[in-house]
Amino acid sequence: MEPLVELTAAHRSGTLADRYSDVPALLSGLSDADLTRAGQILSTVDRRAVRERHPAVPELRVAVTGHGTLSGIVAPLTAELARHGLLPDIRVGDYGTYVSDLSSPLSALHDGDPKLVLCVLTHHAVFEQVPVPWRVEDAVAALTSQVGLLRGLVARYDGSATLVLNTLPLPQSVLARLVDHRSRARLGAAWREANAELLRLSVEHTGVVVLDLDALLAGGAALSEPRMSGYAKAHLTPELLGAYARQVGHLARAVSGRGKKVLAVDLDETVWGGVIGEVGQEGIEVADTYRGEAFAAFQGVVKQLASQGVLLAAVSKNDLAPVLDALRTHPRMTLREEDFVRVVADWRVKHEHLSQLAADLNLGVDSIVFVDDNPFECGLVRHALPGVAVVQVDAEPALHVEKLLRDGWFDAVEATDEDRARPARYRDELVRTDFLQSFDSLEDYLAELGVRVRFEPATAAEAARVSQMTLRTNQFNLTTVRLQQADVLRLLDDRDAEVLVIESGDRFGDNGLVGAVFLRREGDAVRIDNFVLSCRVFARGIEQTCLAEVLRRAAATGATHVLASHRPTAKNHGVGEFYPRNGFTPVGEDGGVREFRHDLADIPTGHRHVRLTAAATPEGSTA
Amino acid sequence: MNTIDEFVALLHDEVGLPVSADDVETGLDQVPGWDSVHLLTLMMALERRTGRTIPMPELLEAPSLGHIYRLASA
Repeated sequence: MEPLVELTAAHRSGTLADRYSDVPALLSGLSDADLTRAGQILSTVDRRAVRERHPAVPELRVAVTGHGTLSGIVAPLTAELARHGLLPDIRVGDYGTYVSDLSSPLSALHDGDPKLVLCVLTHHAVFEQVPVPWRVEDAVAALTSQVGLLRGLVARYDGSATLVLNTLPLPQSVLARLVDHRSRARLGAAWREANAELLRLSVEHTGVVVLDLDALLAGGAALSEPRMSGYAKAHLTPELLGAYARQVGHLARAVSGRGKKVLAVDLDETVWGGVIGEVGQEGIEVADTYRGEAFAAFQGVVKQLASQGVLLAAVSKNDLAPVLDALRTHPRMTLREEDFVRVVADWRVKHEHLSQLAADLNLGVDSIVFVDDNPFECGLVRHALPGVAVVQVDAEPALHVEKLLRDGWFDAVEATDEDRARPARYRDELVRTDFLQSFDSLEDYLAELGVRVRFEPATAAEAARVSQMTLRTNQFNLTTVRLQQADVLRLLDDRDAEVLVIESGDRFGDNGLVGAVFLRREGDAVRIDNFVLSCRVFARGIEQTCLAEVLRRAAATGATHVLASHRPTAKNHGVGEFYPRNGFTPVGEDGGVREFRHDLADIPTGHRHVRLTAAATPEGSTA
Repeated sequence: MNTIDEFVALLHDEVGLPVSADDVETGLDQVPGWDSVHLLTLMMALERRTGRTIPMPELLEAPSLGHIYRLASA
C-alpha cells in the first residue's frame, strides 16, 4: 500500500496511535507535499494513547510564535518530527503576540517545558510599520527598529528552550515598488546588513539559532502566495514552511539527543565510479572525467563531514587489498584511509558489519547513516536495522551530495573542538580494542592501559561540551536530563549546584572531556542529579573512581549522605545497577525511577588501576 | 469533485477533520473539531483537487462547509 494511503487508512480506522512506531518508516520516502498531508493527519493523533502504547517514543514540545498566521507550520512540522521518531506536541501562540511571548517569562510560550521555541518572522513585520507611500529611509528605519527589537528580545530571553529565529526575506514584490535601481540597491544593501546582524545573534548567544531563509528560498521554495498572505495573513507558502520545518526537524533531533554520529558509505558507485574488483584501481572514476568529478565532489563533502567529527566508515562488498590500495595510493583520490575510522571490505551482508561497527564504537546502530547505491543492500539494511538512516543514491553521482545533505543528519547547534578530534579518538579506540584482545583479563588490560583521570569543576568554557555530552550520550546517562548550554551556564552560577567534568587519558593518548557529574546540595545531603560518561571510555574504572571521589568530597563537606537516581530509558538500562553495585542502597521507586542512598559510612577507593591526577577541591558549603 | 461524499472524504483525509455528511449544513461554529486553521488547508486541498481557483474572500465568509462545497464545485 502507498504510505500515505496506509496512514489515511489507519487514521480512518482509529488505529493511528497503535501504529505510531511504524510512522517513521511510512514517512521516510514521502515528497514534501505528501509529508504536509501526512502531518495534517498525524496532528490529530491522540498523544495520550501514543504515550501509553509506545512509552519509548520521546515526546518533544515545540512552541511557535511570530508574525502573521502561523498555523500552517503545524502539519509539516508534525510530519518532520514524527519522521525522526519523535512524538510532537506543537503549540502555536496567539496571533501577533511574539513580543510579549518572548519577553515575559510567564507567557504561555514556556508552558510544558518546550525544547524549541520558534519565532517565525517575515518582511511584513517591517513593512507594516512604514507609511504609505514609503521612502527607502522609512524602510531602513523600520528595519533597524525591528532588528533592535529582536536583539533586545534575545538578550532578555531566559527560557531553557533553544530559540529559533530566521533571517527576513526581501522579495521582488517589495523591491519593485521602488522604480529606480539605485534605491533598490540601497534598500537591498541595508537589508543584507540587517540579516547579517540577525545571524550574528546566534554567534553571540548560546541557545539561539538563526535559520537562513535565503538558503531555503534559493532551494526553490516560493516565498509567499498573494491571496494567502493578503487575506489570511499566512505570509509563507506551504513549500517554504515545509523546508523550514525540515530544518527544525534536524534541530529537534540534535536537541533531543538523536543526532547521528556515524556515516557508513558503500564504495563502488557511491564513493567512486565503477566496480574496483572489475576495473581495478586504474579504472575507477574519482576525478577528471564527467562522472569522476561528480564522485570527487561527493568525496569532498564526505571528507568535510568527517573533519567536523562525523565518524566515517566504509562498508563494501569487495576484497580488502585493492580497496586499501586505492585509498592509500590512487593519485587522484580525495578520501584517504586516514579519513575513515574503519574500512571493511569483504563479502558478508552489510547489516552485520553495521551492527559490528556500532558495537566496536560502543554506539547504538541508530547513530548510523548508511549510504549505498544498491537498492537491494539499502532494503536489506532498512529491514534488518530499522534504526539506521538509509540514504539511497542512484546511478547519477551528481545527485549524491544533495541526497546526503538534505536531511542534516549530523546537524548540531554548535560543534566543539572535541567534535573535530572525535574521529582520531575513535581510531585510537579501535587500536585499544586490538590491544585488549592480546590480554587474558580485563584487569591485566587496565593495569597496562594506565588510565588517568582529571575530575574537576567545569568552567564556563567547557559548558558547550558539557551540554553536548548530556545531549549526545544515551547509554551511560543515569537520568537522561538533557541540558542546553544555557542550562549548564546557569548551573555554574548556582551556589547549590556543582558540575564536575571528567577528562581521561591513557598510554594511547588523551580521550578529552568524556563525562560530567551534576551535583546538588540538599541540606545534609548531596544529590547526584546526573552522571554522564562517554561510551568510548566506560568499563575502565573511570566511573567507579569518579563516584568514589564524589562520596569522599561529600563527606569532606559535612554531608551525611548522598542521594542518586536512575531514570530508565530505552538506552540506559545497562547502568541500572551502577549505584547499587557501588555501595548505594535502593530506597524507593517512583514511576520507574529508582532512588538510591549512600550513608558515607564506608567510602570505596577508586579503581586500583585508575590514577586521579587532579582532584577537585571542595569549596564553601557547596558539594 | 462531484459529490458531497467526496467532499467529506477530502475533509477527512486531507484536513484530518472527522466530519460526516450531516455536519455539512450546520454552521461552521457547530462543526466538531473545526478551527479557522483548517480553512487554509481545505482551500489548498480543494484547489489541488479541482484545479480551479476558489475566490478566497467568499471562502473566508462562508457560513458552512456546504457553502464551501458549492463554491468549490460551482
